[in-house]
Amino acid sequence: MLKDITLGQYYSADSVIHRLDPRVKLVATLVFIISIFVASDPIGFAIITIALAAVIIKSRVPFSFMVRGLRSIIVLLLICGLFNLFLTPGDALVKWGKVVITVQGVRAAILMLVRMVYLIIGTSVMTLTTTPNQLTDGLETGLRFLNYIHVPVHEIAMMMSIALRFIPILSDETDKIMKAQTARGAEFDGKGIVKKAKAMVPLLVPLFVSAFRRANDLALAMEARCYHGGEGRTSMKPLHYMRRDAIAYILMLVTAALVICWRVMGRR
Amino acid sequence: MKGKSIKPIISARNLVHEYYRRDEEGNVTAIENAVDDVSLDVEPGQFISILGHNGSGKSTLAKHINALLLPTEGSIYVDGKDTSAPENELPVREEAGMVFQNPDNQIIASVVEEDVGFGPENIGIPTDQIWARVERALKGVGMWEYRKKSPNRLSGGQKQRVAIAGVMAMEPKCIILDEPTAMLDPDGRAEVIATARELNKKKGVTIILITHYMEEVVFSDKVFVMDHGKIVMQGSPRDIFSQADSLRSYHLCLPQVTELACQLKAAGLKVPDGVLTREELMSVLTEGGLLSKEIEDKPEQTFDKKEKKPLSDAVLLLDHVSVTYQDGGSSTRALEDVSLQINRGDFLGIIGHTGSGKSTLIQTLNGLIAPSEGHIYFNGQDIGDDGFDKRGLRSQVGMVFQYPEHQLFEATVIEDVKFGPRNQGLSDRECELMAYEALQRVHFPEDSYEASPFELSGGQKRRAAIAGVLAMRPSVIILDEPTAGLDPAGRDEILGLIKEMHDKSGETVILVSHSMEDVADYVDRIIVVDKGRIASDGTPREVFSNVRQLESMGLAVPSVTYLLHDLRAAGYPVDCHGTTVSEAKEEILRCSRI
Repeated sequence: MLKDITLGQYYSADSVIHRLDPRVKLVATLVFIISIFVASDPIGFAIITIALAAVIIKSRVPFSFMVRGLRSIIVLLLICGLFNLFLTPGDALVKWGKVVITVQGVRAAILMLVRMVYLIIGTSVMTLTTTPNQLTDGLETGLRFLNYIHVPVHEIAMMMSIALRFIPILSDETDKIMKAQTARGAEFDGKGIVKKAKAMVPLLVPLFVSAFRRANDLALAMEARCYHGGEGRTSMKPLHYMRRDAIAYILMLVTAALVICWRVMGRR
Repeated sequence: MKGKSIKPIISARNLVHEYYRRDEEGNVTAIENAVDDVSLDVEPGQFISILGHNGSGKSTLAKHINALLLPTEGSIYVDGKDTSAPENELPVREEAGMVFQNPDNQIIASVVEEDVGFGPENIGIPTDQIWARVERALKGVGMWEYRKKSPNRLSGGQKQRVAIAGVMAMEPKCIILDEPTAMLDPDGRAEVIATARELNKKKGVTIILITHYMEEVVFSDKVFVMDHGKIVMQGSPRDIFSQADSLRSYHLCLPQVTELACQLKAAGLKVPDGVLTREELMSVLTEGGLLSKEIEDKPEQTFDKKEKKPLSDAVLLLDHVSVTYQDGGSSTRALEDVSLQINRGDFLGIIGHTGSGKSTLIQTLNGLIAPSEGHIYFNGQDIGDDGFDKRGLRSQVGMVFQYPEHQLFEATVIEDVKFGPRNQGLSDRECELMAYEALQRVHFPEDSYEASPFELSGGQKRRAAIAGVLAMRPSVIILDEPTAGLDPAGRDEILGLIKEMHDKSGETVILVSHSMEDVADYVDRIIVVDKGRIASDGTPREVFSNVRQLESMGLAVPSVTYLLHDLRAAGYPVDCHGTTVSEAKEEILRCSRI
């Protein structure tokens, strides 16, 4: 049942982080990603960890939700870790015949793992505390300057929000068509790629036909309600920066500055 | 006020809309007048209905009223503005809002309130006023408490109310509803019509309702009937429904009560023409002294339990079946300990409101849903056994889903119908043979066998889709709402077809529907499903005699049955178990003074 959009895995709660302007959260995520690639030693990561932990505690989202995203990439993490561990040249730490683990390898593997894990957790914080709609609004307002180079920002945002609205409907529809064709003897769990591809035709054709019909209907309904592009449109929920957003920007910049400073000083 | 008439809000003069039919290369093969020389005036504050079969041009006309289409010839003015002037496009759409048929395809946002705000945003209303308008509009349709919900969580009727609110938020003078109830269940239909009537009465909004449910138009101020793009009848509902024969010639029918009144009149009772409501017919019959209380009452009918058919007659047998859906952490019980015997040759109706579990029930019958508890036997074999041929079962128990035309996918009709037999692993010749046979059984026109299924009319698509299931030669056929979305003529055709399947070929037919009239007219046995249990099981007369019980489950009995109950309550000795127009007619005539 995809009735409640789980896309973007929003976790409903009332917290400062939830209430932040989506633009702040988008910028923060970007800054966070830069920071974890700038930081390269325990102290740098300690600063990031403190900041991240503060945000997670403030967001009131259970920590288990944050780690959920890690499950799907655990294999990828392990493989990357092992490659780094065994294939980085340098001073040998352990040696079994041809297999060599180097000091640099251990360092690289740990650094890589920490970065990946932080990346997933950090972006999860954003998607867990921001509804897909807010995210679209944030992108539309935040990227408005791209209009000057003729990027149709409003149209892209509108397409995103319509897609979000129709994903659950089309997934329900897929389910229905699959059942109907199964009732006519179709098998969707056949073996072999050719068989599988063939079995998809009776599912995909009706699904596309239906999607086009819906698109047509929706376009008509939007026109009937005076939609004529982004020009002259007002907003029901306009985005306004509040005091908390300014504070968030300041904290974010201070943290990032600390990380960068430490990295630069550490070099010397 | 003589001479000075009120300025009409909509005024069409000799409106023509040409529709070009093109072949694959885009060459024009035919020109049809979808709207042909239509002139009409609508006064502000009126409730107007437009009737007509599918393809009569009523939706095309509606799209002219808010400038979605522009006239080829003639003109149409909305509140004094010519719709064909480009600068009038947005003002016209603001004043004449439109609600469409499919509730899902007209809601744009993922939150109710944001969807209602979409229109005002488009016309540049300042933010604080948008909120005020959204609040007024949602309160006007009674959906305020749902404002934070996702539309996917709402029922069909509620979604249509949100769509109406979305139009209301633009503060239009006129709302056009283009078959807003065609895809809804009876509850949803009543909800939407009540909302439209209330907006008309309380806020004085002009309503133009396009529909082919005759019961919905009896309250309107004026009715237009369209056929082949022309307005062929117009007048008050009473005028229109007095002319039963002309209505039939336009492939329309009468409301059930009007039909009954009409037949009573033909039988010699002094009943006026164009009786519209049950209450009206009731007062005609009782106050006119047409009926007598002195007639001897029929002996009280007792429905003693008929002896059960032997188990050997059962084609499908459900033994304490329960189905539980797991949805994340929570689980819902869709079926609760259902035991049921379906016999060979049964013509069975299954009724129940949306969410009662009837869809789950039928899907267990051909193994699409496996029961969580209990057993299902097909011809004595447990379908849950390992090694039971599920695919064979599905060709034996054919299932026609709701809107079956949505599963058509092949390039030609005949290829699509062959899909089922082909999956059974039969040779091409055999598949072809079975496909021809199935198409003939649904009276599909022979010259369209090679046509693309996507070019057919709505009724023909449905026939082709039903043939696709019949081609597997099932011995049990299950049809889920086979008449949904069709006009009256289409409904009768499909139901006639289904009856033919049962009567001629002796197949077991299971008809799932929420139209009580359809069910009562055709089937010999009804099962009522409520909250995942079987609430009653018997002949239509037995089941519909429990009016109160059915009402408590959100179902309604046929309106003639209500009338018979009313008469009986008023002291007339009619037998109130009649469920069809002809049964009711006989009972009333038996008690009449002639």
